[in-house]
This record gives sequence, C-alpha cells and structure tokens, in this order.
Amino acid sequence: MAVGRYVSDLDTGDVLGPVEYVLSPFVVREYAHANEMHHPFFQGLREGLVMPPTLIHLDKLRLYNHACPAGTGPDARIHYEYDCTVHEPVRVGARLSVGGRVTQRFTKRGRDMMIIEMELHDVANGRLLVSYRDTVLLAYAPKQVAKEAAAS
Amino acid sequence: MTNPRLPLPTGTEIRTAPRPMTRERMRWYVDAQPTIGADDGRIHTQPPTIHDDDAYARKNGLPGIIADGMISTNWIQGLLCDLFGEAVASRSRLRTKYIAPIYEDQIVIAAVRVTSVAHTMAGVTSYALDVWCEDDAGKMLTVGEALVHVA
Repeated sequence: MAVGRYVSDLDTGDVLGPVEYVLSPFVVREYAHANEMHHPFFQGLREGLVMPPTLIHLDKLRLYNHACPAGTGPDARIHYEYDCTVHEPVRVGARLSVGGRVTQRFTKRGRDMMIIEMELHDVANGRLLVSYRDTVLLAYAPKQVAKEAAAS
Repeated sequence: MTNPRLPLPTGTEIRTAPRPMTRERMRWYVDAQPTIGADDGRIHTQPPTIHDDDAYARKNGLPGIIADGMISTNWIQGLLCDLFGEAVASRSRLRTKYIAPIYEDQIVIAAVRVTSVAHTMAGVTSYALDVWCEDDAGKMLTVGEALVHVA
C-alpha cells in the first residue's frame, strides 16, 4: 500500500478516500466555462444546475490530494482513457462522497500504467450517482528511455 | 431541454466547427483544476505542467505542450449536450481513449455518429454513438463510444 506519499507510488489495491464535499454552483460553472460548454444547465442560475459528468475527473485529483499529499512524483502523468457512467443527475447543493480504488497497475510497452475505479454517492441517501474508470500513463517516456536520459 | 434535432436516426453524423487547440485553451483547463479545488470564487494557478509550460513538457520527453485529454472529452461531451441536452448529465455513459497527442494550434473537430437507437416501453430512447475528435486532415486524436438515455 502506498497511500500517503506520491501518486506515482500508488499500487493495486490502494484505497483512495472517501472524501465528502458539497457541489457548488461555482465549481459547475467554472468547469463548464473552462471547457466551453455554455449550456444553461451548466452555466445558468443556481436552481437547475447539474454537474457535467466529466467533472468526476477532478474528483480523482481530489482523491490524489487526499491520499498522496506529497504530490505527483518524478514524472507528469498522461491521461489515457476516460470511462464514466452517470446513473442519476448530480445537483448543485448535494453533499457527495467520492471514493476510489487502484484496480490495476501494470507495464505496457515499457510504460507504467494505472487504472483507478471511483464511485460518487449522494450522502443523503447513499445512492450511486456516477461510476468512473480512469486509466493513466504514469510517465510519457518509457522506463528504459527515462533511465538512459537520467544516466546521461 | 431537448434539442429540436431529435430524434436522430441511425447513421446520423454530426461534427462541431473546427477549433484550434490554442495555448489559452490548454491553460484554461490547467487553471480550472486548482480553481475548482479551492472552490472559493477566485482563480488559482498551479506549478508548471506539460499542458502550459514548454520547458516542463520537453523535460518529460514531449516536443512541447500538449492538451489535457479531458479537453477533447469535454468537447465531445459538449456536442452530446448540444444534441441531447440535460439527458447527458442525467443518465449516460461516455468512454474516450486518447490515441494521439494534441499539440498547440492543432485544429480539432469533435464528432459523433449514431450507431443504434432503441425505444423502451417507458418512453426512453437510448442512443448509442461512436464519438471522436479528429484534426483537419482527418487524423484521429481521441476515439470512443457514448450511450445517452433520453426520457
């Protein structure tokens, strides 16, 4: 188990969170604006605002910050795959609980990869709102290339 | 709110207007992350990333900054919202895979193609779609699938 250090140290079986928070209008509007999604249900008045499903990806960073306060590690991560299922809409003002687990860490073509599976629940009733599966490369350069670069 | 273009028959293909992946667009996403994390109504920035700092990107083996993959996913999601409205945020699935880096000023077009349409007794129409982003030469950058249930 590598929780408590760098994200790059995480390993299969590591549990992240849960972390609770309240979804604010600012978060929904700001995320939608940054991604040019100018839909009224993302950027309108507070009543009726709903979470853009992709915002679940920033909950992964919330879990990283909670579980790995030392930061990313030596290399920048590269996102490889996003897989999100929305079971029910997530409304602004809801108290939410997000948790995750590292389900796989493996090497593919010389690169370390990691899969995290996450769930977002409504704290008030325990209902599952969003499921998310995230796959990342833990470094862009394959391990051998990185070793040679470090040695030169 | 449902887009008046519905219903969409199988085979329908829809694309966004071309958008250049400018340095600013990359930085908007970079800055959004700590800003949303802080959730205090003010903008926050973060240390250099491969999405906003060329030197840092080169140090990580890249030729220069590249876009965060979530931008292309969000552009696909935005197109789905244009078509299906709030249903995308209510009951849906979206899977995307980043098969090529998107570099500064590369032109990006998000696209969807309806692969099947199913109607349920409850009055829900389920659209399955192929989704992708390509550049202006037709090179695939991001690929995936979506499922949207429209009540």
